[in-house]
Amino acid sequence: MGQGTVDVVRRAGGVRGLWGLCVFFWGVALGMAGSTAGAAERVYIDITQPGFLKLPIAVPDFKMQGGEEPSLARQMAAVVRDDLDLSGYFKVLDPAGFLESPQQMGVLPSEIRFDSWKAVGAEFLVRAQYEARGGGLNAEFRLFDVVSQKMVVGKAYEARVVDARAVAHRIANEIIAALTGEPGIFDTRIAFVQAEGGSKEIYVMDVDGQNLAALTRDGSTALSPAWSPDGTQLAYVSYVEGQPKIYIANVLSGSRRSVAGYPGINITPAWHPSGGRLAVTLSKDGTPDIYLMDTQGSVLKTLVSGWAIEVSPSWSPDGSKIAYVSNESGNPHIYVLDVAGGNKRRLTFEGKYNTSPAWSPKGDWIAFSSMTGGRHNIYVIRPDGSGLRAVTHGEGDNESPTWSPDGRLLAFSSTREGASAIWAAVVNGEGIRRLTRLGGAQSQPSWSPRANR
Amino acid sequence: MNHRVTAAVVWCCVLLTLTAMTACSKKAVPGQAAYPSAVTPTGPGAGGRYTPGGPIDEATWQKLGLRTEEERQRFLKDMDEFQNDDIYFEFDSFVLMDEAKKILDDKVTFLRRYPAVKVTIEGHCDERGTNDYNLALGERRANAAWQYLVNSGIEPSRLNMISYGEERPIALGHDEASWAKNRRAHFVVEF
Repeated sequence: MGQGTVDVVRRAGGVRGLWGLCVFFWGVALGMAGSTAGAAERVYIDITQPGFLKLPIAVPDFKMQGGEEPSLARQMAAVVRDDLDLSGYFKVLDPAGFLESPQQMGVLPSEIRFDSWKAVGAEFLVRAQYEARGGGLNAEFRLFDVVSQKMVVGKAYEARVVDARAVAHRIANEIIAALTGEPGIFDTRIAFVQAEGGSKEIYVMDVDGQNLAALTRDGSTALSPAWSPDGTQLAYVSYVEGQPKIYIANVLSGSRRSVAGYPGINITPAWHPSGGRLAVTLSKDGTPDIYLMDTQGSVLKTLVSGWAIEVSPSWSPDGSKIAYVSNESGNPHIYVLDVAGGNKRRLTFEGKYNTSPAWSPKGDWIAFSSMTGGRHNIYVIRPDGSGLRAVTHGEGDNESPTWSPDGRLLAFSSTREGASAIWAAVVNGEGIRRLTRLGGAQSQPSWSPRANR
Repeated sequence: MNHRVTAAVVWCCVLLTLTAMTACSKKAVPGQAAYPSAVTPTGPGAGGRYTPGGPIDEATWQKLGLRTEEERQRFLKDMDEFQNDDIYFEFDSFVLMDEAKKILDDKVTFLRRYPAVKVTIEGHCDERGTNDYNLALGERRANAAWQYLVNSGIEPSRLNMISYGEERPIALGHDEASWAKNRRAHFVVEF
């Protein structure tokens, strides 16, 4: 089994974060015997099968080389564990039970004592080391299949110490990619509404709740953040100029502009999957209807109009359809519009209050919020109206679902522990966990697309 | 721990402080009391706008055509009543109930008596339901009141509308008594 570097995979860095925190690093694939392929030869986790068993995985603390930044040994491993746990694919083993000392044991395939990992129940092992020097950080990891005693994937990274968390997220992404054939989503971000002190502002955080940053600081009411498909802009609604208008902010620079301020309400922006256009709700012609608008605010087309309320559009990933809310039946329900043909059909018939549709990135589900017995829960349904099932089950109010870019997780607001917070769960309802632990109340999450690097 | 870790910790503290400062500065913004000032003055004549609770200067009295102290006292009383009487709606409905129509008839009387007065109609919802749908529902509630006033002969140019959805509750409880108070159209005088 090879141990050195093969195949240099240059990963262009990207500017990240609202304060211009830069992540410039690159990864190198660590060699594998007879193969330089980055992904696994076989798919360990078939993500098309809903009922798979979680894989037991061990992530011991990283091995420190050199002697600088000793806290990273634990911190980076914790980030990887946390990410793998969030993915829902793994049973992440408690390091307290490990038989080997993370600072003593080796990192190379020849140094791994697979028996002692088998003994603690691990089927996979993530072994990593790092060296910090003068603000720079070198890190490498290897993923081992404990059962077959083989290395699955390995990569080395050169970055800065301040980007240690980002490197750990990248490692988690590579592990998911190696085992499922599709990269993880741990370098994505979530925008949400933070209510505190009588105002609502748009905030952005990493998917694990870290790197929190305020996008607006208006002391007004800001709502409904929506990421552009390239992840560089957020459309949102604000009362900062009196009436609810739609704004677009550049996430990196923080600069923003008003794009729709027609008479009445200008709400619920949703970017077309190809960018450049948005579906929005305007009441300029009397009732709240859904329009297609360019990013300068010019209306290109009326998508849905009628005497009823039409609101909350969500695009199918191919841009051919929108799911939206209409109360034309007397109560709010989810409908689907064929944008080219103009024909619409009602999707939900259960319950009396179904809102906040969110079309999954793979097109296979539409998530929404349903109120029954005074409680909101998250449901998913197939775009043809079949397969309705609950994601949450009556613990508090659960609203405003948003999909992770891999279509596997849903983030939503929940009051299950008191004040509204952002939570995430696997689409089958498992692995629910809280993402925000802030004062005030958090609502209306919007999950960013994958980072553009 | 070396100085770089310390630097990272310090940097985190700066971020936390910034966040905390944001939180603190937000506290200075009044919550419920803020909403009338959030309405953008529209149309000509918006300059001499009356601030609720504030004094009315002589020029404004002249504009309103109210000369005697008796007229002015009555106007203040009528205006209080006008702004304090909200109309209420059932859950997920913007249908005007009989009680609401009676109150709207009183609004018509007031607006006829004081033709220089303009009104912003605010549509509000209770906290149940989603923010987005409630913004649309609040708009329909304001519109239902607007339509009734216009049908009763009030000039549309005197009437503005704004929906606050569930964003400006007047009662903060999580029970039907609070929700019922929040499902309302509220009327704010401008002149």
